[in-house]
This record gives sequence, C-alpha cells and structure tokens, in this order.
Amino acid sequence: MGNPVMQFQILSTAPDETARFYSDLFGWTVDANNPLGYREISTGAREGIQGGIWPSPPQAPTFVQLFIAVDNVRTFSRKAEGAGAKVVIPPTSLPDGSEMAILHDPQGMSFGIVTRS
Amino acid sequence: MWEFRERLAREFEARRANNVRYSLRAFAAFLGTDHSTLSQILRGKRDIPSNQLRLWGKKLGMTSEELAVYVASQYVPSRQARDRQEQLRHWTAEGLAIVTDSCHWQIVELTREPGFRGDCRTVAVQVGVPVDHVNVALARLLRLRLLEIGPDRQWKHLLGPGRHTETSFRKLALTRIRELAARDGVKLLRVQG
Repeated sequence: MGNPVMQFQILSTAPDETARFYSDLFGWTVDANNPLGYREISTGAREGIQGGIWPSPPQAPTFVQLFIAVDNVRTFSRKAEGAGAKVVIPPTSLPDGSEMAILHDPQGMSFGIVTRS
Repeated sequence: MWEFRERLAREFEARRANNVRYSLRAFAAFLGTDHSTLSQILRGKRDIPSNQLRLWGKKLGMTSEELAVYVASQYVPSRQARDRQEQLRHWTAEGLAIVTDSCHWQIVELTREPGFRGDCRTVAVQVGVPVDHVNVALARLLRLRLLEIGPDRQWKHLLGPGRHTETSFRKLALTRIRELAARDGVKLLRVQG
C-alpha cells in the first residue's frame, strides 16, 4: 500500500498574506470554515496533492511540512522515534476523526504523519 | 576559522608532496611564527588572529578577494553554534509566550467547563482573540504536553489532579519547557529566589 504524501502544509507567521499570495498566483482556493479555522487549500487540479496553511509562532521560520499517510499514528510515532526521530506534537485527533503527529527527522526536518482517510 | 586552517593544512601537505623532508618548523618559519603555535592552530587547539590571517594569506599568494572571504568567515558561526543558538531562541520564545500570553491558561481553563466544545473558532470568541492566536497557543500546549486531543476528540489538560491557578500553570509549563529544552541539549538558566 505504501506511505504516500497526502498533503502539504505551509507554516506561516502571516497566514492571511500567504493565502492571498498563492491564491492570486495560482488560483488556489483557501477555505477556513472548519472547527480548527484551518486554511484548507484546494489547488483546483486532480493531479498532485492538496494542502493547508497553519499559523506559526513568531520565532519560527515560514516553511512547508509534508504529511505522510500511515495506518496507525501512535505505532508509527514509536517506530519513528526508534529510528531517531523526535516527536514534536504527539498523536492528536483532528475534527474529521483522523489522527496526526508532527515529528523531526534526525536532521531536524519537520514532517507530519496522518492516518489514511 | 576552520576554513583557513584547512587552507594552511593543504598548503603544508602540498609542500611536503614536493619535498618529503619539508618540516612543520620550516613551514612555521616561512609564515613567520613558531612551530608550537602553528601545530596548535593546525590541530584546532588555537584560533588564528585576524591580522595573522591577513599576513599569512599574503605569504601564501592569496588575492585580496580570497582573503576577504576567509576574513569574513571568521564571523560566521559554525553550524553547531548556529543550531544551538536556534534551539536556545526557540525554547526562550516558548517560555516568553507562556509568561506573557494568558491565552494558554484561558484555553486550559475552558477545557474544564461542562459542555466545552473543542472548536477553535468558538474558543477564539470566548477568549477574545483571533482564531490564529488560538491555534498558535493550542499547538504550543500540545508541544509542551500540557494538553491533548485524544481519539474521542476531547481536549484534555495534562496538568494533573487538583485545581490550578494561572501561577501554578505557568510554573508547570516553564518546568516542562526546561525539561524539553534539556532533551535538546539546551540548559536554560535558573534564577534563585
């Protein structure tokens, strides 16, 4: 089945400005009408993955995380820790019933894991 | 500074390749320094003063542009120093956010109320801040393991049993920051009294 990249997430200290830039440039639509107020990005294409924008704290840079599908976020978090990753945000349920976690790989790069929908 | 050290080492090795008898003493004499100082520099035990770097660069036939790059590199922190600074900056910022922004405590208090709904838009209205502000605080609470959102999608604080005040919450949060920072190899200062 594999572990595909399901979505990208832009972390931005200026999420409204980021949303406006990509909407204007690529015609993406951004919708925050959900319980998290999460800016969901629809690229308008069937190819590729969709994304979202999350506000980052002032001390953080603006960067992109990739979310990778796993069968079980808790099991996979432990597996990732065993491989040298660090869990930054522990397994957390999302309003749609899926679960996600944020980790840093051994080189410090941030990525997310999410249950398959 | 290691870049110029590498340059010196390569120059010495090149001279030895031409003449196996070429000694470190001879190289030191060429540069106008003593053998012991040069040995310490090549082993990374001693830094090269800027004026010495310029003088030696010229003796090695470097152009002024090359020299300028080596001089500038002295002021660039090493990757290790940069990573450490970044970690310190991150954990200090986390601590400052806890100390200055009562939104974290307000979110935790709200989770205790009967009928609380884990909807960031509602929380934003109740706390009186924008949704993005709630989301930044929520992510911080999750990172610091002060709150969790379990499989039942309920927001639960992880402060432990008993009633907490905002002061005790901050103390717990700052202790958690100290522990997590230590895991990253960052020792945050503790002020007595």
